[in-house]
Amino acid sequence: MTRREAAVVPRESATGAIYDLGYQAYDGPRLGRRAAVSTLFWASLRAAFGLGRSGRSKIVPWGLTAIILVPAAVAGAIQAIVPGAPSPFNYNNYLWEMQPLLALFVAAQAPELVSGDQRNHVLSLYFSHALARGDYALAKLAALATALFCLALAPLLVILLAAVLVSANVPAALGDQLGNLPQVIGSPLIHAIPLAGLGMAIASFTPRRAYATGSIIAVFLVTAAAGGILAEAGRGRISQLAPLLNPFVLLDGTRTWLVGGIISDSPVRAADLALPVFGGLTAVIAIVGAAAVLWRYRRIAA
Amino acid sequence: MPLIATRSLTKRYGSSVTALDDLTLDVEPGIIGLVGANGAGKSTLLKILLGLLQPTSGSATVMDMDVTTRGPEIRQFVGYLPEHDCLPPDVSATEFVSHMGRMAGLPAAAARERTAEVLRHVGLYEERYRPIGGYSTGMKQRVKLAQAIVHDPKLLLLDEPTNGLDPAGRDEMLDLVHRTGTEFGIATVVASHLLGEIERVCTYLLAIDAGRLLQSAPIASFVERTGTLGVEVEEGADALAERLIAAGLVARADGHSVLVDCPDERPYDIVRDVIHDLGLSLTRLEQRRHRLEDLFRTEGRTDDAA
Repeated sequence: MTRREAAVVPRESATGAIYDLGYQAYDGPRLGRRAAVSTLFWASLRAAFGLGRSGRSKIVPWGLTAIILVPAAVAGAIQAIVPGAPSPFNYNNYLWEMQPLLALFVAAQAPELVSGDQRNHVLSLYFSHALARGDYALAKLAALATALFCLALAPLLVILLAAVLVSANVPAALGDQLGNLPQVIGSPLIHAIPLAGLGMAIASFTPRRAYATGSIIAVFLVTAAAGGILAEAGRGRISQLAPLLNPFVLLDGTRTWLVGGIISDSPVRAADLALPVFGGLTAVIAIVGAAAVLWRYRRIAA
Repeated sequence: MPLIATRSLTKRYGSSVTALDDLTLDVEPGIIGLVGANGAGKSTLLKILLGLLQPTSGSATVMDMDVTTRGPEIRQFVGYLPEHDCLPPDVSATEFVSHMGRMAGLPAAAARERTAEVLRHVGLYEERYRPIGGYSTGMKQRVKLAQAIVHDPKLLLLDEPTNGLDPAGRDEMLDLVHRTGTEFGIATVVASHLLGEIERVCTYLLAIDAGRLLQSAPIASFVERTGTLGVEVEEGADALAERLIAAGLVARADGHSVLVDCPDERPYDIVRDVIHDLGLSLTRLEQRRHRLEDLFRTEGRTDDAA
């Protein structure tokens, strides 16, 4: 109780206009673990887009966001100028076409969210606050997944908006398009969660940001190349199954399974597998990735 | 209910390294010095109290809460200043301290207000809006202290708070720690391998060695035993010591100084006369308090002998 008195006395005894208030004790609410986790999530989500950071931190996330929007916007503009012009893009194939951008976002922003905390030993401070180690891992995973979801959702919303605005009967078109919401929301979700798990799993294992980014890019390049080469060079069943090495093929298979619409040039059709197999393998990526991140932060010294 | 209580607390790393060995202690609020050589187990103890490390055996409670099961809850009320760098270079002190305040459970508005207040208390003004990467070691250390007290903890754990500071920086930091413990009334544990620092700011001493408790008592009980006179001369310390011993005093030369046992007033006159006789130039004459070091050394020997 003496501490409260010590803190308040200078204030009560002060009569002048300028005086040192002295140290103020804090008697307000302490919101605990849940609030700490939620704060970390929002701060990390903002960091994923460089918000509140220097201009340099915004270049990559906003550059990629701009680039991923351009094709959808251009296609929409063409349809507005030339009514009835066929668009090369739809809700099903857009993210398949844009996969390098999603991969680059993961490679750049997963390390952005976690490498610095390890390199600068900020982790020891996080772990000495009101959250547990697993909370940190989950908040970072959720932040990256949410950022990816926003990145993937934005161009699909542009497509939706364009379709509504160019139609002669806007309310009717809006009604039509709302029927596509499962694809518009489901497809980004299906991409965001496993990619976040995969990216974070790699990024969390090194404090060196450049290594993390390089490793993530390498994983995407190697899996895509190996899948592609084996599909060309291999024979029979091997050639059909080889594309499954590429995580984006698995994601597209899962998308086809859950929200429908097979893409003609995706290897999903050629693989000739039951679609739930893609779903299962995608779930494996997401779960193993998240488990690796949790394991890593449970073990890391702080 | 003691603030901190440990019972047979043991921490082993692997099978060979024992950092804490059957440590049992009760700590009451105050400014507590936790002293020991590097590797004595100071950091390990702090980290166990924070719930950052799991003990191998035994138990520890902070504010009557078990550290192994109620970590996040305890840590709302504990501030921690780690031994090593722990600051991101690319954000400002204001942003960082406020973020850490919210990590401790403060609502956003309270975190902002208290951030401004604690940064002022630790002496960071205009520079608090600049990225931490450009700060001097002394400023960084202040930010580390600010983030440790932003949530008005009930217990503050400082691990080598003067690490890497120059002498002036050390003095300022120790003053801040002293103010935090006294004016702000926050119970503080200061881990240090420098006894002189502990002596200056702490009211209670916990000395550990090889993970075992060596001493646990109020600092005053060590340093109040006076009785040594320090006589510093420009040169001729050895000759002075010889003459003093010849005059029947207990004295020994120590560099430029001669340490004289002073059970009563008598030695002062003798010292004065001998210095005059020898024609030495006296630099300093001081009543030495029993330094903690002396005691630590003695205790160490006793311990070895036993």
